[in-house]
This record gives sequence, structure tokens and C-alpha cells, in this order.
Amino acid sequence: MTQGPPAAPGPRGRFPGFAVMRQAPHWDEVTALTIRSRIAPPAPRFFTAAEQATARALAGQLLDQPHDDLGVPVMEMIDARLADGQTDGWRQEDMPEDGQAWRDTLAHLDSDAKERFSAAFADCDGREQAAIVQAVQDLGSRDWHGLPAGHVWSLWTRYACTALYAHPAAWDEMGFPGPAYPRGYKNAGVDAREPFEVRDARPALDPVRERR
Amino acid sequence: MSAGVRARNESAWLLPNDGTRTNHRLRRDMRRFGDDDQVDLVIVGCGAGGSVLAQRLARAGWRVVALDAGPFWDPDTDWVSDEAGSHHLYWTDPRVIAGADPVPLGSNNSGRGVGGSMVHYAGYTPRFHPSDFSTLRDDGVGADWPFGYQELRPYYAAIEQELPVAGEHWPWGDPHGYPHRPHPVGGNGELFLSGAEKLGIEARVGPVAIANGRFGNRPHCIYRGFCLQGCKVNAKASPLITHIPDALAHGAEVRADAMVTRVGIDERTGRATGVHYVRDGASRFQRAAMVAIAGYSIETPRLLLNSASPRYPDGLCNEFDQVGRYIMVQGAPQTAGRFDAEVRMYKAPPPEVSTEEFYETDPAKDYKRGFAVQTVSPLPITWAEHVAAQGHWGRALRDYMSDYVHWACLGSLCEFLPLAGNRVTLADETDCYGLPVARFAYSQCDNDKALLTAAQHVMEDILTAAGADEVITIKRYAHLVGGARMAKDARHGVVDGRCRTFAVPNLYITDGSVLPTQGSANPALTIMAVAARAADQLISGARGGDG
Repeated sequence: MTQGPPAAPGPRGRFPGFAVMRQAPHWDEVTALTIRSRIAPPAPRFFTAAEQATARALAGQLLDQPHDDLGVPVMEMIDARLADGQTDGWRQEDMPEDGQAWRDTLAHLDSDAKERFSAAFADCDGREQAAIVQAVQDLGSRDWHGLPAGHVWSLWTRYACTALYAHPAAWDEMGFPGPAYPRGYKNAGVDAREPFEVRDARPALDPVRERR
Repeated sequence: MSAGVRARNESAWLLPNDGTRTNHRLRRDMRRFGDDDQVDLVIVGCGAGGSVLAQRLARAGWRVVALDAGPFWDPDTDWVSDEAGSHHLYWTDPRVIAGADPVPLGSNNSGRGVGGSMVHYAGYTPRFHPSDFSTLRDDGVGADWPFGYQELRPYYAAIEQELPVAGEHWPWGDPHGYPHRPHPVGGNGELFLSGAEKLGIEARVGPVAIANGRFGNRPHCIYRGFCLQGCKVNAKASPLITHIPDALAHGAEVRADAMVTRVGIDERTGRATGVHYVRDGASRFQRAAMVAIAGYSIETPRLLLNSASPRYPDGLCNEFDQVGRYIMVQGAPQTAGRFDAEVRMYKAPPPEVSTEEFYETDPAKDYKRGFAVQTVSPLPITWAEHVAAQGHWGRALRDYMSDYVHWACLGSLCEFLPLAGNRVTLADETDCYGLPVARFAYSQCDNDKALLTAAQHVMEDILTAAGADEVITIKRYAHLVGGARMAKDARHGVVDGRCRTFAVPNLYITDGSVLPTQGSANPALTIMAVAARAADQLISGARGGDG
């Protein structure tokens, strides 16, 4: 699920033909190098094999990747940050430091999965995994295996979203052109686009209206 | 106007004009002092406060060394046009956050390297209002400054020219104009202006510290939207390009990658003797006749506390338990609205349009003081944080994210009050130098909470009036000030109105930590103005801090 070529525009298909990497020749060299290195991150150095499987499944749930796979190596990107100690520059007093917090909470997910579904979290089916994840979110600020569930949720979503939305495949899905130096933008304003931007083909696909 | 600025601060003309961003020769030929040279002044931290002080005093002929824990940035090679790739711009050494309402640090408010947090600030530089200087006297909340707005006014005007600031005539507080015309407005700003107009709320474009047109050798803004990732263009002001070049040209030394670990004290006289620091793994000591700390609201108190000695057993300047207290953040709820039109808020400066109509105390309300509203334009990773804060994950998260180009986003700055319990202390945990890390506790008071709610309603009203069919809000915080505040005496603060510490006559603090109140204004301009004022007073007094 994690490697392989970027998928064609997903089922959302809002920006047909839009591909951020096609603009890479217009980026400054340092930025281009940064983005390219992200597309093929190194093999995991922080997580154990078992933790890798759990983290991959968790990230898949949080970011809907098994259902709609963008081919973004989220687990590997999280692993790289933890291996390098690249934290956000703070930790909650009632949480361990980020690396330990990831290890602990992945183990807790497995123990929930074994209790509820008699299988490791990674071996549960998508519906079962989603139920376990939802249960953690539903705890709000209450306790989950000795940790405040809300702080656990924040840790997971921060790392997962930072990884996915640093990736050009995710930018393709949202119509965001990525790096903009040295070119910049000439057409700011409501309903204004640059020649390389693609109009949303489904502008009324408002997630709220969809749910009404 | 430019000629006048150039005569007193030549920084913009000392940068290259060949498409590169750094004057390498100026850095290579920089004057260098030995650790045993007793310099006139050693400064800890090259951000908003430290850099202005260095530039002013170097011009006045002082022998100045400015240390910074981080690198001496080169925008060409060190910075990227990318969110995740800009992580190294933030102070990410370990810190612990606590309290009823813990405040995230790092990217939110803490910079690293020469230029400090202004490297990744949004570039918004409003002045404080005259009312900010006497909130205790006039509103019964907060604190009073040792001096009033009029004292700071000439320094505001001077710094606005040096950055320089672009914006429309500003009708709020002390009405004033700006040296550069306002920048063109992006989709986000257009919608703010349209919603505000429908509600009869006055909104204006600016003030942003981004040159509109060439300024010296700094080129025009290209509106790429990555202001918070460090400006690769040299268009957005930070001390790295607005004050450090002129400081170097006048004989100051900037010593980067040098982490100050404690202030040296003569146990007999109680005076500062210099600073202990670590560079390239070696412990060193820079002798100085005077020390100025400018490490911002978390690291400045931490350094004072870590500088405890037999003469100052509770930490330096902490005889009355004032160090680290009264730290303020602004409540910065962010409300986004959904439009069928494409907004593409990632173009143009992120904060561009604002209103300060709700800034002061309104007797009709049940809270004191107020808030400002500004455009904010989150890029995908910060936008994901906004969406995830609604509880969305999985498919819903991806749906909202794919809708990014349709959202406009406003942010408020609410004037949270200075509270004694909101403070930095030392944690048990230590960093890679073996020093205790900062523990930062924060809790909101009822007035703070009332402001958050009021500000959110105003933002929802503006976006709805502009045509949004859904609004979503994330509660967050912005900026830091306080922690070593100015006061009339040592029982109420750490420094006097000249930024001199009450406890140690040749120790100064010249950063945001000295601010007694914060208003609803982004603090960078005021931090620079306060440092410029302190510099003037030092220059007119005697060296060694006894003037």
C-alpha cells in the first residue's frame, strides 16, 4: 500500500490533469531536492517490524489510504521524523516524549485489537480498525491506557497529516500547486487562476452539502 | 524617504542585487573578537530585539558581539518553498507544556537562528494602541507600562521605515500612515473586505513588513504565499536583512551556532561579567562590560533561572519571584468559510486585511479589552490541522482537504491578560547541554474565554456576510510576550523602563519578554521599537550600564 507510482486522480477527481511534479522544473534547486527526497523516503529506522505494521494500518485509517490510496508512504515519513528526533518542539506534560509515545500507543492499539477482535491491530479488517480508532477519539480528554486520549489523538493526527500533506500526490488531490519560488503568483483573487492551475471540476462538492 | 533611512540603516543596500540573497563578503570580513576581549556589550539572541540593539550600538561605536544558538541563515541554500521542509526554522529543543490550556510552541511562536522568529513570522506589523500602555489604570485589568505610547511613537515610525511597512492609512489607535502603499489583495482578503463592508465593519489592507516596490537591493514581493517558511525573495522583513547587515558593516560580530548556557556573575560585586556558551562542542566564555539577553519569552526566563549562583540562589533577577511570570499568548481562534468560488488563499501575503474595530474595551460588553481580526491563509499542513480539529478523520478529512481551494480563513488575536501563574519554570528533564528545559504552564481566565467567543462570532458573521455556506473554527494561540516584564520596581517586574534589570546594573533584557501587556497586535514591531528606545538610552548614557 505504501510504495508504487502515484495513483491517477482519486475518486474525487476534482482537478483533472493537474500534476504538481510537472512543475518541478520551475522550482529552485534546494526546494526541488527536498520534495523529491520525500517521494522515496529511506527504509524505517525507528519502528520495529511489528510497530511498522500497526503504524501503517493506523495511518491508513486516519487518512483513508486503504480506501483511496494516494501511494504516500506516511508510515515511513513518520518513522523518519522519529528516528531523527524531529519533534514539534514541545510535549504535553502528561505524555512521554514523542518517540516513546508512538511506541506506547501503537502497543495499546494492539492490545485493544486483541481484546475486542482477538487479532493484532494490523490484522483486523478495516471496519474493525476503524471501530478501535473511533473509540479512542470518542474518549475525548478521558484516560486511554494511562494517557489522555485527546493528547494521543493530537499526536497521531499531527504526525499523520504533516506527512500526507507534505506530499505532491496529496497536493494533486486538492489543487494546490506546491512550491512557488522563484516563479511566484501573478493572479491572486477570487476565481483567478495561474495558467498552470486547474479549475475544480466539481466546485459544488461541498463536504457539508454532501452530508445533508 | 529611502535616502533618510539609508543614512541611518544601510542594511537593504548592503544585500546583493544579482539575484542572490546573502552578502557573503560582509559576513566573511566581519570583525571578530576574542573570548578574552572585554567587549562593550554581548547580546544573547539575534531576533527582533537583539538585532536592533546590535545595529544601533554598533553604529554608535560600541564593541558588540551578538550570539545566537542557531545558524546564520542563507535564504538561497537554507530555506525552501515548502511547509514540512521548513521545520529547521523553529526552536525544537525539548520543552514541556502544561496548565489548563497548554500552549504549543515550535512552529507556532519560536524561531531559531539569526533573524529569530521574524524569519517565520507572517510579516504583520501593527502598532500597539495608546490604550495598551495603561490597561490597569483605565480598564482595571492587566498592567501599566513604565512609559506611555508617546515615548514609543518615534521608534515605531523609525522601524516602520527600516522594515519597510506597506499598508493603507491606519485609522485605529494613534492614526498614522505607512511608508509603502498597500499590496494587492488576494481572494481571502477580497472576501474579508466584502463581508466586512456588508456588516458596516471598517477593514483595511496592511500593515505588512514587505516592501512594495524595490527597497535598496531587496526585490519586490512575488506573492508566493510562503511567508511563514522564510522569505527566499528578501522581500519580507526580518532582522537577518533589515538590521544585521548594517550591524556587521559597523563592526559588530554575529557569532552563530553559539548556545548561551548561563550569565557570568562576579559574586563579590553582583555584576555580570559576560556569558558562558557552547560552540562546536566546546564550553567558552565571552567577557563583556554589559550583557543584554534577547532570547524571547521562554528562553530568556530559562537562562535567568539556569544562571542561579550563590549570590542569586533562586535564579538571576528573581529575588521577588518575578522571573518567568506574566507570559502572554494571544488567543488566536481561526475561522474558515466555504465558498463555491475558488479562493486559493495560498497566494499573496497570508495576513493582509484586518480590522481593529474591536480592539479596545467596549462598555456594553461583559469583558474587558478586545481583539483584532486578520486574514490568515494556512497552507495544506496547517489547513489539515484546522480540519482535523473539527474531529474529521479518514474519508471526511480527505473530502474536506480536497475542497481546499474553496475556503477563506480569518484569524483573531485576542488580548489575553497577563496572569502571574502563566509562567516558565525549570523542568526535571535536561537538554543536550545538560541544562534543565523550560516548563511552560498556561491557563485562561474568564475574560480570555469571553474574548475567544466574541471574536469567533465576529469572524463567522464576516464570512457568512461574504457568502460562506459553512464556517468552521479551530481554537489556537499566537505569539508570546512577557516573562521578564517592565515595571516600576523589582517587586512587580524584572526590568525598568529602560530594559535594565533591577537586580544587576549591567544586565539588560531587550526582547518581547519585557512587555507588560500585549494588546491585540502582532508583537514584532513593538519588540523592535522597545529595543530601539533602550538602545538610544544606552547610547546617551555611559557604557557599563551605570548611565
